[in-house]
Order: sequence, then structure tokens, then C-alpha cells
Amino acid sequence: MAVKMANSRRDLEIHRYPVPVYLLVMLIALVLQALLPRVLGPRHIWYDFPLVITIYFALARRSPIGGMVIGGVMGIFQDALTGHAIGVFGIAKTISGYLAASVGVRIDVQNTIIRVVLNFSLTVLCSAIDLVIHRVLLGMEYGWNWRNTLFQAVGNSVLALFVFPLLDRFQTRD
Amino acid sequence: MESFFVRYRNLLVLLALLLAQIIGLAMQVRRTPAGQMTFDAGDGSGVRLIRLWANAVVSPPERALQTSKTQTGGFWSNYFDLIHVRKENKDLQATIDRLRLEQASLLEDARQGQRLQAMNNFQQKYLYKTLAAQVIGTSGSDQSRVFYIDKGKSDGLVRDMAVITADGIVGKVREVFPGTSQVLGINDQSSGAGVILETTRIRGILRGNAFGQPQIVGLLADQRIKPGEKVFTAGGDQIFPRGLPVGEVQKVVPDPDRDGFIEVVIKPSAHIDSLDEVLVITAMETRFSPDQLKDLATSVDLKGAEAAAIEDQKKAAQMMEDRLPGLTDPNAPVPAPNPNAPPGSAPTPPANGPTPYGGTAVVPKILPAQHPDRFTPSSGNLATPPKSAQPDQTGPAAGKPASATPAAPKPGSAKPDSAKPPAPKPATPNSAGPKPPVKKPTDANGSAPATKAPSPATPPGPKPQTPQPQERP
Repeated sequence: MAVKMANSRRDLEIHRYPVPVYLLVMLIALVLQALLPRVLGPRHIWYDFPLVITIYFALARRSPIGGMVIGGVMGIFQDALTGHAIGVFGIAKTISGYLAASVGVRIDVQNTIIRVVLNFSLTVLCSAIDLVIHRVLLGMEYGWNWRNTLFQAVGNSVLALFVFPLLDRFQTRD
Repeated sequence: MESFFVRYRNLLVLLALLLAQIIGLAMQVRRTPAGQMTFDAGDGSGVRLIRLWANAVVSPPERALQTSKTQTGGFWSNYFDLIHVRKENKDLQATIDRLRLEQASLLEDARQGQRLQAMNNFQQKYLYKTLAAQVIGTSGSDQSRVFYIDKGKSDGLVRDMAVITADGIVGKVREVFPGTSQVLGINDQSSGAGVILETTRIRGILRGNAFGQPQIVGLLADQRIKPGEKVFTAGGDQIFPRGLPVGEVQKVVPDPDRDGFIEVVIKPSAHIDSLDEVLVITAMETRFSPDQLKDLATSVDLKGAEAAAIEDQKKAAQMMEDRLPGLTDPNAPVPAPNPNAPPGSAPTPPANGPTPYGGTAVVPKILPAQHPDRFTPSSGNLATPPKSAQPDQTGPAAGKPASATPAAPKPGSAKPDSAKPPAPKPATPNSAGPKPPVKKPTDANGSAPATKAPSPATPPGPKPQTPQPQERP
């Protein structure tokens, strides 16, 4: 009975979006991620639009499978643009989508602090997964710098503060 | 069982997705000759397809944004100008702001114009055929040094074309799409270019490190490599033409993985991190400007004149050689001309006779050995005089007292019976062992020279009917 109640509550709080919004937002995130380094410089990539979008949709949908699929697709497309191995960002963002959705089932994701903390921690986790995949699975060097990771985590958290409310406007009301 | 899958559905999907991607990663890894597993930069067909899809999705918006950048910028500039004019028409601050905006815009235009002019000048002077392209996007990752240009297969680009600027090399075309191309920077980990150090002439392979710095790897420690030394392309990689500037040595660090090896970190000549326009070398055939063609023609003419001068020098040397004294015996008799020589054939210079150049033909006069034996080389030489000095056996001299000259038995050659020597005897008083019958040197008339020393290789056997002088010097 308790499970049913929880499911009902979760179903009530699931946010839905039109399909074009998913596609358009994912595309814009990928394009911005590829374009902004030209404007801001390649050494200051302290943002990860695809990760922020993955976390947002995973939290909003509260579906781990949906979060995993969105994260995996975004990550693989990101991998394809880098020229490196396909799957590095894919794995990291798949895990991020799963964790974000799993957390979103249990806690109130409308809270700003929770959103910031979640973005911060998942960014650090993604960086760690990238490091492990590069060094262990691919046998490549990885220019890991804790300062860059920290700045990227802060940057994603700040980015989420602006992007999440903006995307909340596109929710469909049942 | 069903409840298990329902209960752990999310976790199972996660594991399936992760497993699929890890398998995909494993298919892109290869084993190095050293036994290490590393990422294989050569994409398979499936990976290429994914990259093609990603490019097809991301490149059109990038291209559109880049194309409309100038127009949008102008639109916004005009829009803000109009607002300022309406609201603060009489305000000096508004004027200053507008002027500042215009100044910034003009400054940017001027910089772009200078860049384009420099690139245009370089493109016109450069030997190879190049195609100018504009950078429209990046990989979006600080671990990947890949960027995109607005020229692709429709513009004639293919994979592995060199991408340069007027300052130096930038990278190579990694993937070609219909309207865009992916360029792999020289500072990427998976790149590679053959380079050579200017002073020390040490060759190496340039590739990027994890921090985006190009470095020459796999070099043995060498004290001669100093910071500031310039680095150029070596041309051995069949991608970058030889002699293009790469950068200069920034520092030399020991290779952390291999003792005795160093890594030479390079400061690139091109501004790899802030590229706007690049040149793609589309053809390696040399392309000369009219001035260069003129210089080449002049060079060819000079080379012809030089060849003529060398020919003259050779003629002069030949004439001088003929006139200089040499091993010449002016008193040697002139051999009779060969009547059997075919008409029209070039006359053979007579032995010890005058040459067409005014000199005298040389017949080496070889002194006989003091104590001839079969090991003395001169005996062999005496026994077989130069061919030019031998009389023709079939000539008029053949009827002369040839019987007095025991000639060596020549199979197939017509000789008088009396000239045939008998079978050699095993020993003679003058020789210690058996000697093969050899031809005795004769003069131009076919007779043995009376004043010459007797041949030490005179065959043993019955003495000829005409006594031969057996003097020893």
C-alpha cells in the first residue's frame, strides 16, 4: 500500500515536456558546448551544458531509465564531437542521469540548494569517471586538474541556477 | 522471477547501458607493440557513422550561427544605435558610447582585415595549393583538441590534408563531411607529425600531451636541445610539407615512462587556441607564381651556360692531356696499316706513331726482369705484348720469317707448320719448370726485335732455326 502511495505521489510530481522541447534543448546544449569555447577560449571550459540538461531532465522526469537514455545520447554525441573514443562521456552521463533520477524520486528537487549541490557533486563524479575511463580503460593520459574540476563544478551549479527555472517554463500541465 | 526484473528494472537497464558502452569502448582500443592498451585513433565504420550523425546534428546550427554572425552583429549594433539616438540624441555620453562601439567594431574589422590580408599574401606566395577555411566550432571538451571548419567534401577536402596558418602548422583534417570538416590539432593526444629541430637536426614525432601542449616524444636524452630552438616539419609523414614552422622548444623534460628518453615541449608558432581562419593544403604539387617561373627560367639558362662552360673545360683538358709528354717512344717504328681493316672504319692510332692531336701514341716500354721466372709479372707482360703493337698474322708480315718466331699455339689460327713449336719438354737448362708456350714479342714486321731483351718466357724446346739473341741485360 505504501509503495502504491509513493508511486502515486511520484506520478503526480512528474514533469512532462513536449517532445520537440527535449530535442531542441539537447541540440542547443550540444551546439552551445561546441560554440562557446570559440568565444570564451578553449582553456576556460568551466561549463558542461549537456550534463546540466541531463541532470535537469532526469530530475524532472524522475525516471532513471529516461535519465540514463538522455544522458547516454548526449554523452555519445559529445564523444563524437571530440574525436576521442565513443563512450567516455556516454558512460559518465548515463551514470549521472541514473543517479539524478534516483535522487529525484526521494527528495524535493525544486529546492535551489539541492539543485546546486546535485550539480556540483555530479560534475565531480563525471570528472572522476572520465579520469578512470581514460586511464584504466583506454590507457591514455588525462590532464586532470582539481582546480579545473572545481571550477567546472561551480560553473555547472551556477548554470543550473539559470537554466533550470528557464526550462521549468516549458513544462506541460496535466 | 518476474518480480526480480520489475524490482531491479532500473538497475538492470543501467548495467545493460554501461555494458554496451564499455564493449563499444573496448572495440576502439588496440594493443600497442609495447603491450599496452591504448585508444586507436583510426575509427571503424560504426564509429565514423556516429561521428557523422553528431556532425550532421551540430554543424548546421554552428554554420548558420557563424554565417549570420556579421549580419546579426550589424543588426544589433544598428538597433542599439537607434535607441541611443532616440533617447539620448543630445547627450554627449550617448555619442561617446556609440563612438566606442563603432571603434570597437572597426577595430575588430581592421584586425580581421589584417588577418585575412596576411593569410591572402601567404596563400599567394605559398608553393602548394591551399584553400582558406573558417573555424566554426570546437569539440567542446578540454580534453580534445579538435575543431571544425566550414569547408568539406564538396570543396574538395579529403582526410589527412594539412591545415596551416601563415604562422605554422595547425593540424590535419581528421574527418570530412559534406559541408564541414573535423580538424585534429597538433596538440591533441592522438595527433602525430614528423618534425625536425633546426640546429641539431634531430627528428621526432610531435603529438599533444594531456594538457594540450605539443611535444616531441620518444627522443633520447640530448644535451644539445635547448629552449628556443626552432622546430620545423620534417616532411616524412606525407601530410605536412617539409620545412613548415611548427614552433620553438619551450622546455625539455624527462620522459616519465622511459629512462633515458626526453620529451621536448614545444611552443607552437600558430595560435592554436584562438584560430579564426586557416588554410588547408589541398594539393602538394608545387604552384609557382609568374615571378618564380621567371626565376626558374633564368636558373635554367644559367645552368645551360654552366654546362657549356664545363664542356669547354673538358675539351681544353683533353687537348692539354694530348700535348703533355707521357710514356712515349718516339723512336718506335710505325706499324703498317691494316689492309684488312674495313673501309670507312676509324683509323687506329699507330703504335708509337703520331696521333691526330699532334702527339705520339704510347707503347709502354717494359724493361725485362733481372731474373725472370714464372712468377715475374713482367714475363707475362712481355710474353703478351699489347695488341696494337702486334702485327697482323694474316697481313703481309705473315710471310716473313715467321717460322723463326715460335708463336703460341692458337687454336683455329692459321700458322705455317714450321712455326708450330714441338711439345714442351718438362725441363730446360734455363728454366726450373715447365712453362706454357707463349708468343714471343715481335716488331711490326713480325720478327723479334733484335735489340730487345729476350723473352724470359721463351718456351723450352727445340731451338728455332734462326738463332734468337739470348742476351741478358
